[in-house]
This record gives sequence, structure tokens and C-alpha cells, in this order.
Amino acid sequence: MTITVSGLSASHSGRTILQETDVTIRPRERIGLVGASGSGKSTLGHALIDKLRAQGERSVAHVPQSPDEALDPLRSMAFHWREAERASGLAPDQARRQELFAALRIEGGDLRKRPWGWSRGMQQRFVIAMALIGTPDLLVMDEPTSALDPVVAASTMSLLENYLSDRQTALLLITHDLGLAACRMDRLMVMQTGRIVEDAPTQKVLSAPKTDAARSLCLHRSWLELPC
Amino acid sequence: MIKLVASLVLRASVVLTGTALATFALLWNAPGDPALAIALARYNAVVPVEVIDQVRAEAGLDGGFWSAFSGWITPLILGDLGQSSVTGRDVWPELVTAMSYTFPLALAGLLVGIAISVPLALLATQRPGGWLDRCAVALASIGAAIPAYWLGLLLILLFAVQLGWLPAMGARTPAHMLLPALTLGLGVAASLTRILRSGILEARGQHFLPAFRRRGVAASDISRHHVAPHVAVPVVTVFGLELAFLLEGAVMVEVIFSRPGLGSFLVSAIEARDFPKVQAVVILSAVLFVTINLLIDLLYRALDPRIGERDA
Repeated sequence: MTITVSGLSASHSGRTILQETDVTIRPRERIGLVGASGSGKSTLGHALIDKLRAQGERSVAHVPQSPDEALDPLRSMAFHWREAERASGLAPDQARRQELFAALRIEGGDLRKRPWGWSRGMQQRFVIAMALIGTPDLLVMDEPTSALDPVVAASTMSLLENYLSDRQTALLLITHDLGLAACRMDRLMVMQTGRIVEDAPTQKVLSAPKTDAARSLCLHRSWLELPC
Repeated sequence: MIKLVASLVLRASVVLTGTALATFALLWNAPGDPALAIALARYNAVVPVEVIDQVRAEAGLDGGFWSAFSGWITPLILGDLGQSSVTGRDVWPELVTAMSYTFPLALAGLLVGIAISVPLALLATQRPGGWLDRCAVALASIGAAIPAYWLGLLLILLFAVQLGWLPAMGARTPAHMLLPALTLGLGVAASLTRILRSGILEARGQHFLPAFRRRGVAASDISRHHVAPHVAVPVVTVFGLELAFLLEGAVMVEVIFSRPGLGSFLVSAIEARDFPKVQAVVILSAVLFVTINLLIDLLYRALDPRIGERDA
């Protein structure tokens, strides 16, 4: 079922950082939310998650920029996993864990260890796996690969896409990496100063950008040469 | 783990040996003749030189510093605190009696400190920067600045002299414990409130907590599983130090409130230059400090294993 949220907005210290925004996301859709730093991408993502959670109608999951922002260094990976299962209202299920670990190639990680006992790439894949525990309707990923090197980032995204290929989960990828979004997303939403200024299929935005924000992003074609 | 405990125990042994040597050297080099002081305390009268020499020999003070030190430290290693050079009685039973007054007072002071600081810190952190928070910070600062001896006298003046509600001197009934425990506890509460407050605020600001909220983890679970353990790390450190300093505070409070205990035991021993008794109190304090520090070190590593990893 299509997710429709209207009237998203946010302000900080009396300053509006997200203008009133409506978002519609269809099942299985792959959307790239792009824009320059400070344009309000993460704020929109957070506002969307908070509103959907408050409504309680749709399941939504979140993957932050870095595993440091998602994992408690004093708690074991097993603890994080159990807690994520409880938060999704699910009973512990080893088969589900194994399936997700296999899909995201989380191999050889000792669950008794704390996050810092795992590599960064494994930590981030673990965070993605946690987000997928309840097979959410929407997965919001906020610069999920910026803490990883380009090769690990590309392989992580491929593993995720493979896993989601036969599921209804929609993906909202918040990124300033237009190359990554261009490669993997069907639709781009371009943000500028707290509002969505362009919302169109990826190829359309890349071939005929209508706004200054989109044109400015498209100028940096060199990003397309990196692994994505 | 065995290696870690062994290295901590080795460190503790070095500290204890150094403490024993330093205390003995300080007493040895204090102005005046120790044998004369012991003789005066023992006979309570002016004594001939022969008696002083006899006392010197009995106390093992006639063979020089190292001979006297080894004569004291050797049995101590085997757990024998020796005999009082004034009364000739074993030090250990007297020390145990003194501790039976001091330790309950220290514990009561600690409980008062916890009972005040925990709710105060929790209330203060409900709205950081609010009037309650500012009051708590002000109270904690005032509490830390007031010396125990002055606070004790103020409490005596108010509750014993002016209001006549509580006894001021002695240790006959549980009511005699209240004012000393309050004096001791208010100082503990001041430092614990400050560290708890800052620990809670810092832990609540951890950058990973928003992700837990967005993951749907209940607020109570976040507080219990992800805030409390981060608060515990700095609090354990300060709590351990407080625990060790409580003994020192209790000794001072005992003197103010004329309570029996380690305070009066130590003061009378210093006045009589009773080496074994003074040494026993100093060694007891050192053992307590070192043991508490050792336990904190281990607890610290259990709470945050990254500390052990860094050391390795």
C-alpha cells in the first residue's frame, strides 16, 4: 500500500529547517533524496520516520549514517539484535537472523562481542540487518555508506537490493552522492533550503534537470565513475 | 584476567609498602623523644632516664630506624599488628572495637549521601538549566565547599543546642548517630549529585540514542539499558573515591561529636606516640584505599571493556 504523509515540517531555535512537505512513496519504490549539505535531507527523513511511527499505521525502519550512531558500544551485538526483535514486536527467531545474516554476508562475527569488536563494514551491514528484521514497509537510509570505502559501500548496497528484490519494502536513500543515487534509485527528490524542489524519475532529473539545485548536483558527473 | 589481577595486586603491594615506610619515617622523625612520650603516657608522671631507656628498648626503638621498622613490618606481614607501646595490649582487638563504631557511621553517611543525591540528580536532569537544576547545582557546590567540621558544629548548634531534638555527643543510642551521619552524608551528597547530574546529562546526549528511539525501543528500555550503564562508568569512579574518603571524614566527624571510634583511637595514639596503634590505623586506611581502588579498577573494566582493551 502506498505511503502518503503530508504536512511534514521542522524548525530549530525558531528557524524553519523543513518547509511543509508532502511525501508519497509506493511499495518497492527506490527513491534517492539528494541535495547539498544542509538542504534538509536528514531532517525530512527523521520527520517522515517520526510521523509514520506516531501514526503507527506503517512499519518504518531507519539506518543512520554511521554504525556509531546506531550501536551502543557497551552492549553486545546479540543484545542489540534481541532488542531490535522486541522493538519490532517479534519473538526471537534464529532462522530469520541466519537468513538476514546470509543475505547481507555477515559472516564470522561473534555476537557476544561489542560493536568495536567488529569491522566497520560488518557493523553497518548488521545495522541494516536489524532494520530489516520486521520487513518494514519503508526503509529510510541516511547516508548509509558514507562511513565505508567505495567498494564495501557498493557491495553493501548490492546485497541490500538483492534482499529487497522480492519484498514490498520501499527504500528512501538520503545521500549527497548523486552517483550512488543515479545508479540504484528509480526516482530522485532534490532538496534545497528545506523544501523538495524537484521530484521526478532518475533519468529525467539527470538528463533534464529543471532547478538550480538539480543542475548543480548534475555538474559533478565524476561521481558516476566511482563504484556504486 | 589472572594477569590483570596479578598486576593490580603488585601495584597495590608497592603502594602499601610505600605507605608503611613513609608513615614510619614521619613518626620516627617527628620532634621529641618517642620513648619519653610513651613513658609519660604509660606512667602519667615524670620518670627517670633509666625507665625511659627501658621503654625505648621494649618498644624496639634503640636499634635505629631500620631495625625498628623491620621489627614492626615483619610481624605485620603475617597479620600481627603488634602491641600498644603504652598499654602493652594487642592492637588488633582495640582496632576492631574502634572500627565497630566507625564503619557503621561511614555506612550511614554513605546512605544519607545516596538518599539525597540520587533523587536530587534525577529531578535536576528532568529539565536541564531549569530552576530545579540550578538549585541542585548550587546546593551541591555549597555542600562541597563547606568543611565537615564547620557543618558538624552548625548542626550541633541547631539541632542539639537550639532545638534540643538530637543528642550531640557520644554514641549511646541510634539517635546519637543521626547528626554525625548527616554531617558526613551531606558532603558525600554534594559530590555524588554533581557527578550523577553530569553523568546522566552526558549519557542522555549519546549520539546513538536517537537511532534507538527511531528503531522503536521503549523509552524505559533506553534509560535502563543504554543510559544507566553509561552513567555508571563515571559514577563508579567517584563513588569508589567517596567510599575511601568516607573513612577519613568519619574520623574527623567522630572527633567533632566526641564519638568513640577510629578518630579517638588515632588521636590518643598520636598524642602518646604509640607507634603500633598509629601505624595500624594508617595501614588499615591504606589497605581500604587500595582494595577499593582495585575493586573499582575491575568493576570499571567490567562496565566498559574498552578500557581493558586499550590497556592491552
